[in-house]
Amino acid sequence: MDLFLHLCIMIAIYIIFALSLNLEVGYTGLFNFGHVAFFGIGAYTSALLTLHQVPFEISLLCALAFAGVWGFFLSIPSLRLRGDYFGIATLGFGEIIRMIFQNEVWLTKGPMGLPGIPKPILFSIRFATLPHYLLLVSGFASVTFVILRVILRSPFGRVLRAIREDEVATGALGKNVFRFRVKSFVIGSTFAGLAGTLWAHYITFISPGDFTLLETILVLLIVVMGGKGTEWGPIFGGIVLIFFQESLRFLRLPAEWTRYLAPLQQMIFGGLLVLLMIYRPEGLIRDKGKVGHAGHQRTQ
Amino acid sequence: MDFLLQSVLNGILAGCIYALFAMGLTLIYGVLNFVNFAHGELIMWGAYFLYLFMEKPFGLPIPLALPPALFLTILLGMGTDQFVFKPLRTANRLTLLIAALGLSFFLRNGAQFFWGAEIRTYGFEIKRGMRFLGVSITLNQIAIILTSILCILFLYLLFHRSRMGKSMRAVSDNLELARVVGIDTKRTIRIAWIIAALLAGVGGILLALDTNLQPGMGLINLVKAFAATLLGGVGNLWGAFWGGILIGLAENLGVLIISPGYKDAIAFGIMVLMLLIRPAVLFGSEESS
Repeated sequence: MDLFLHLCIMIAIYIIFALSLNLEVGYTGLFNFGHVAFFGIGAYTSALLTLHQVPFEISLLCALAFAGVWGFFLSIPSLRLRGDYFGIATLGFGEIIRMIFQNEVWLTKGPMGLPGIPKPILFSIRFATLPHYLLLVSGFASVTFVILRVILRSPFGRVLRAIREDEVATGALGKNVFRFRVKSFVIGSTFAGLAGTLWAHYITFISPGDFTLLETILVLLIVVMGGKGTEWGPIFGGIVLIFFQESLRFLRLPAEWTRYLAPLQQMIFGGLLVLLMIYRPEGLIRDKGKVGHAGHQRTQ
Repeated sequence: MDFLLQSVLNGILAGCIYALFAMGLTLIYGVLNFVNFAHGELIMWGAYFLYLFMEKPFGLPIPLALPPALFLTILLGMGTDQFVFKPLRTANRLTLLIAALGLSFFLRNGAQFFWGAEIRTYGFEIKRGMRFLGVSITLNQIAIILTSILCILFLYLLFHRSRMGKSMRAVSDNLELARVVGIDTKRTIRIAWIIAALLAGVGGILLALDTNLQPGMGLINLVKAFAATLLGGVGNLWGAFWGGILIGLAENLGVLIISPGYKDAIAFGIMVLMLLIRPAVLFGSEESS
């Protein structure tokens, strides 16, 4: 039963993470390949603050704000770039953030990591047990889902989709493409920070090694496998992939095997991403708005 | 003073290697118009292929191990084109890039699967370098500089003195137009991959000779190579060369000021700075997209 609860919690956290990336990759067409950076910023900010006796409500808000602010400062130079260059700039940023976690020992304890991150106390309820924590994360996941849905169905969201389809035409219609992209990136980063915070307080121990390219690949795979630019895609992808990843952990395989299993599993993730892109780039759930002429005309 | 001179030397040394990476990256960019995210993995696999032939059961000395290692690197480069990038030639850009990123992750973990995540070396003893004008330089390092110069000379001759180079430049200018005037674009693309993979393999081996091997070396060097291409102007081969040298110098002089832990971040810092100061430069060769 604990195993099942653990699985559900991880899935809910990754759904938040994937929903935030879906806003950028799926709806706005931003090639963000360093999303893990904001997950990490959220995790470290909240962990450090609560370890210094700051109440969870405040540290959560700080973590969100901090992730958003970093997203803003990264997006200003890098969103001037065309797609591929933006991709590599974010990829590089993901590595740099990990380097900062590793090197600023006075703050983050470096490779030793931060143990003993307290379980969250929200409105004087302590979310310490698995069922409690599941309630907390599913609450946050639902809120994220609803907020992003409202955003994407608003005129703002329509502009984002228009930019994805044709940025020149959108610009010609008087929309400031750069600004909309920055906003989308900042919102995405903020929610990635939320996912990171929830993850840190669940796992209670974080170290720089937790925020590698693997996380970026995993969340990207969740988004494109489920179907990028769809409302339910990230949820579907999250359930399937996190189930696959976490269940391997509970098979109790001999320790010598993990030396081979971990890279093998990651090869599967990478290979899956390649195969999906070649054979089914739209993912398992199709974006209805993009099929047929009606959808195309609407965005033009 | 000697200290500074030594840093400059080390910078040029590293810069030569980065230049090789950057030139391969920019070559593929020029011909196929996309940033090959898996280029770093060709660098890493090149180094590991040499390791493979130098260790048991082969146990070959370097000169004998080099040809098969480079051959396998080229094969790998062409294989990635054949099985991943070719089916995606007409796909949309996001699809292509996600596939490239996935491929990069796949290859990186492939190396980790076979050789583990630990840091390895080719097993040379560390020798005291020769003193020369107050700076020390090892035989390995002289070999690195000579090899890089040879590669660059070869590239120069190929690009500016041969028909093949001419058609390659034509293809990077405009693929459709090149096809119309009767250039065999498929062959040109194939040769671009061979050269890019060769440069990556040689560069990776040189880097591993100078430092060490680990599966993560591809990604960080991809970022550096990309920063170098940005510095030199995207798609510009000789710009990429100078960009590489500059990144190498900036890294080795930069660690005199900031913590060595951030050495790998310097290239990224330069890239961001460039974007803030001169964003217009980057859009030089953009029309073809």
